[in-house]
Amino acid sequence: MSEIYNLSAIEIRDRFLKGSISAVSIVETFLKRIEKYDSKIGAFLKVFPERALSQAKKLDERLKGGEKLGKLAGIPIAFKDNIHVKGEISTCASKFLTNYKAPFDATVTELIEAEDAIIIGKTNMDEFAMGSSTENSALQKTCNPWDLSCTPGGSSGGSAAAVAARLCPLALGSDTGGSVRLPASFCGIVGFKPTYGRVSRFGLVAYGSSLDQIGPLATTTADAALLMEVIGKHCPRDSTSFDEPQEAYLDKINNRPEGLTIGVPWQFLEELAPEPKQIFNQALETLRTLGAKIVDVDLHILKHSIAVYYILATAEASTNLARFDGIRYGVRSSKAKTLDEVYRYSKEEGFGPEVKRRILLGTYVLSAGYKDAYYKKAQKVRSLMIKSYEKTFTQCDLVATPVSPFTAFEIGAIKDPLQMYLEDIYTIGINLAGLPAISVPEGFAKDGKPLGLQLIGPQKGDALVLAAAHLYEKQSKYNLAIPTFVK
Amino acid sequence: MKQYSAVWEAVIGLEIHAELNTKSKLFSVAPNRFGDEPNTNITEVCTGQPGALPVLNKEAVLKAVQFGCAINANISRFSTFDRKSYFYPDSPRNFQITQYDEPIIRGGTVIAEVDGKEMGFAVNRVHLEDDAGMLKHFPTFAGVDYNRAGVPLIEIVSEPCIHSGKEASAYALAVKAILQYIDASDCNMEEGSLRVDVNVSVRPKGTNELRSKIEIKNMNSFSFMEMAIEAEIKRQIHEYERNPDLLPHLIIQQATFRWDVEKKETVMMRSKEMAADYRYFPEPDLVPIVLSENYIEEIAKSLPELPLQRERRYVKEFGLTPHNAFLLVSDKKIADYFEEALLLYNQPRLLCTWITVEFAGRLKETGKNIIDYGISSVHLANLVKMIDRGVITGRIAKTVADDMMLHPDKNPELIVAENPDYSPVHDEGEIETLVDQVLAANPQSIADFKAGRDKAFAFLVGQVMKLSRGKASPGVVNDLLKRKILG
Repeated sequence: MSEIYNLSAIEIRDRFLKGSISAVSIVETFLKRIEKYDSKIGAFLKVFPERALSQAKKLDERLKGGEKLGKLAGIPIAFKDNIHVKGEISTCASKFLTNYKAPFDATVTELIEAEDAIIIGKTNMDEFAMGSSTENSALQKTCNPWDLSCTPGGSSGGSAAAVAARLCPLALGSDTGGSVRLPASFCGIVGFKPTYGRVSRFGLVAYGSSLDQIGPLATTTADAALLMEVIGKHCPRDSTSFDEPQEAYLDKINNRPEGLTIGVPWQFLEELAPEPKQIFNQALETLRTLGAKIVDVDLHILKHSIAVYYILATAEASTNLARFDGIRYGVRSSKAKTLDEVYRYSKEEGFGPEVKRRILLGTYVLSAGYKDAYYKKAQKVRSLMIKSYEKTFTQCDLVATPVSPFTAFEIGAIKDPLQMYLEDIYTIGINLAGLPAISVPEGFAKDGKPLGLQLIGPQKGDALVLAAAHLYEKQSKYNLAIPTFVK
Repeated sequence: MKQYSAVWEAVIGLEIHAELNTKSKLFSVAPNRFGDEPNTNITEVCTGQPGALPVLNKEAVLKAVQFGCAINANISRFSTFDRKSYFYPDSPRNFQITQYDEPIIRGGTVIAEVDGKEMGFAVNRVHLEDDAGMLKHFPTFAGVDYNRAGVPLIEIVSEPCIHSGKEASAYALAVKAILQYIDASDCNMEEGSLRVDVNVSVRPKGTNELRSKIEIKNMNSFSFMEMAIEAEIKRQIHEYERNPDLLPHLIIQQATFRWDVEKKETVMMRSKEMAADYRYFPEPDLVPIVLSENYIEEIAKSLPELPLQRERRYVKEFGLTPHNAFLLVSDKKIADYFEEALLLYNQPRLLCTWITVEFAGRLKETGKNIIDYGISSVHLANLVKMIDRGVITGRIAKTVADDMMLHPDKNPELIVAENPDYSPVHDEGEIETLVDQVLAANPQSIADFKAGRDKAFAFLVGQVMKLSRGKASPGVVNDLLKRKILG
């Protein structure tokens, strides 16, 4: 475990701060790995060698000068390409934004750079975060480091693949319906979706505004907790950001949670296939040996999650993406001659099929005559889900489910969009309820591909979720496995 | 319009859009300022950059609530924002943020003066929303200026309780006065900070039906609005009367018209079939506005003096007629100007007459008011002082006023001092000659006066003044006449 790339972000930082390794050599190590492996994986849309190395040099000098450095000092970090880094292009993996240089930093970017992390590049994703496999990227294909014929999951597939292949120790994704947790599960790493409002969305290109949260992808729960300490901060530029002090998650996860009651919605998990069910049961058994009490809880309302989500998220998306019209920024169609043609052709040429499908769906559910039957009804069901979760959390501290009904599937295997939507059946309800949830590695299927355990907490119960995942991870250690291909 | 009042009744509702004069915009920190270089008062929010988020300006909420309190409306403890979708280059996100389901203010009454009588007009709702940018057309292309994009507006929607163009402009004038008194808006129609849309329908008098309404847009003055309303009422009546056998909804169909200043008629812009489906739904990037009882009470308590209160004060304290008081107070700047002059020379009735009759008449063609024209309150007070103290006669004062129109910055005292014709003749000998001439020529008047008819005396005074070309001191004329007639 002496190779730098095998270390956790915290270990890398500590070695750098102790002076046993320079920031420049940390960055060089990961840049070399990206060069070596990423042509096969396709995790990065853009790597920032100069930016990263010049930042590393500065950090080395500041350390030499005896300066006290930040919490993330020397840690290379990758950003999903829908999070703005001022002056760099934010494509959102869409043709439409291939020329869009972010005019401002996201709040998370400011916070992370203030703690001396090194942004190493931007990662691939489903176009505008719409998808569960990263196959909807209009720019490139990303492969799962555990099996290059498979998808890494999505939509934050590039960030998950990069961390899983140890091309960087830490990454940011965004999670609207499972987009951090699903790829974390498929790639055998940790992915955390914070309580809605915990992390500022300022500078995150919106998909479903009432569902979107930025979250960390890491090889350990502690690394995820560390990043949460930095980005989990009230932001006055995001009205939905809640006004509470930052939490010391790293301290909190080391306080072992005692007497946990974990609810499992067995009725909702009825159709789970035997192999993932067996692995999930094993995870529950581990939790039991760690002192948790496992109880059955009723969350059958979650079977409506997919339907509700694809009405509400697309309704929001249809308006969020209306701004991409070719007037102010983005790629304007060269064949457009009139205003109507600028709108029509720029969108036609700029957006991929899944994005168009969701814009159309969202437009439809908000249209006069349909709004009551779709949008308003879905809002009501969403409220019921929130109540149902609230009730559940009077019976248990956390809820456990698998992250996904199966392991990573082959690229191109799922052609029916509705089938693809079902990938998110276990993650999507959490976004509708705005809850914190984590995907933590829970083992491998016979074909060698990883699976994730999902732990879900009540509103603002981020620290408890991280602490329970940390407890489980220390016992199960599945997070330490590295795909052979990148060893 | 007496022609239609016997058979038909007009039903009119107004939507008044007032730009609030806040320091910054409704959802961004960009300055709210008119007339600057295009696209200088903008942030990432104003141009709808991806990743930008709206943050509500509390000053705009305050001003909206002040207006609500001023019209005695219900202030919502809880109100929300919605997205209103439409595509146009001046709309940076291609949706407007407005309040649809839960406006900040409901109800309220605006009291206006119509034909010298007070009338109450019911307000349905007042809501906050953001303004669009402005399109500018150049010979070979069009550009958009986003300086105005995001400027806070309140839309004041009246009940359909207005029945003539005259009532409509009286109502609009009263709304404008209130907005100026609470310093919520500059209400400058030329700069577009006050805009009015009118909904007009007609119905047989005595019925309560609401027939299809026509919306008229783009009227940039109250007098155009009055003309447009009257023209539209006549047009609708004409249509109904020439199609007595058709059902009303087949004769007039809901549509949007504009006022054509040249043709002096309303012209159709779009029919109902072309009306947009705005797909309103709750804005997920903003949290509801929640106002406490305390907050509302504080605002209600600290409201400045309102036009109606001021009008009543002028009647009570200065003995002005309600109509004259109304003329003064309906423009706050004029009322303030009146009070400035009053501090310099305490003769309210004369000051009022000279502002609202003499100078208002002389200024009519200039399109300016006395302040904009450059006649200072000091000069006005000096003029009135000279009249009141008998330094000049009323007749000379009118000539002096004509001179002030030519030299608005010249002190009337100097005008009088420089022109010997303006000094009244006090010399008894000189005046006596004139008095004798008049008495000799009017024996009948002398007899009438002796018989107790005061009018005859006034006639004789007038004749003397006429002979003196207005220069004779009225006091001396009076004395001499009385002495000579009554001995």
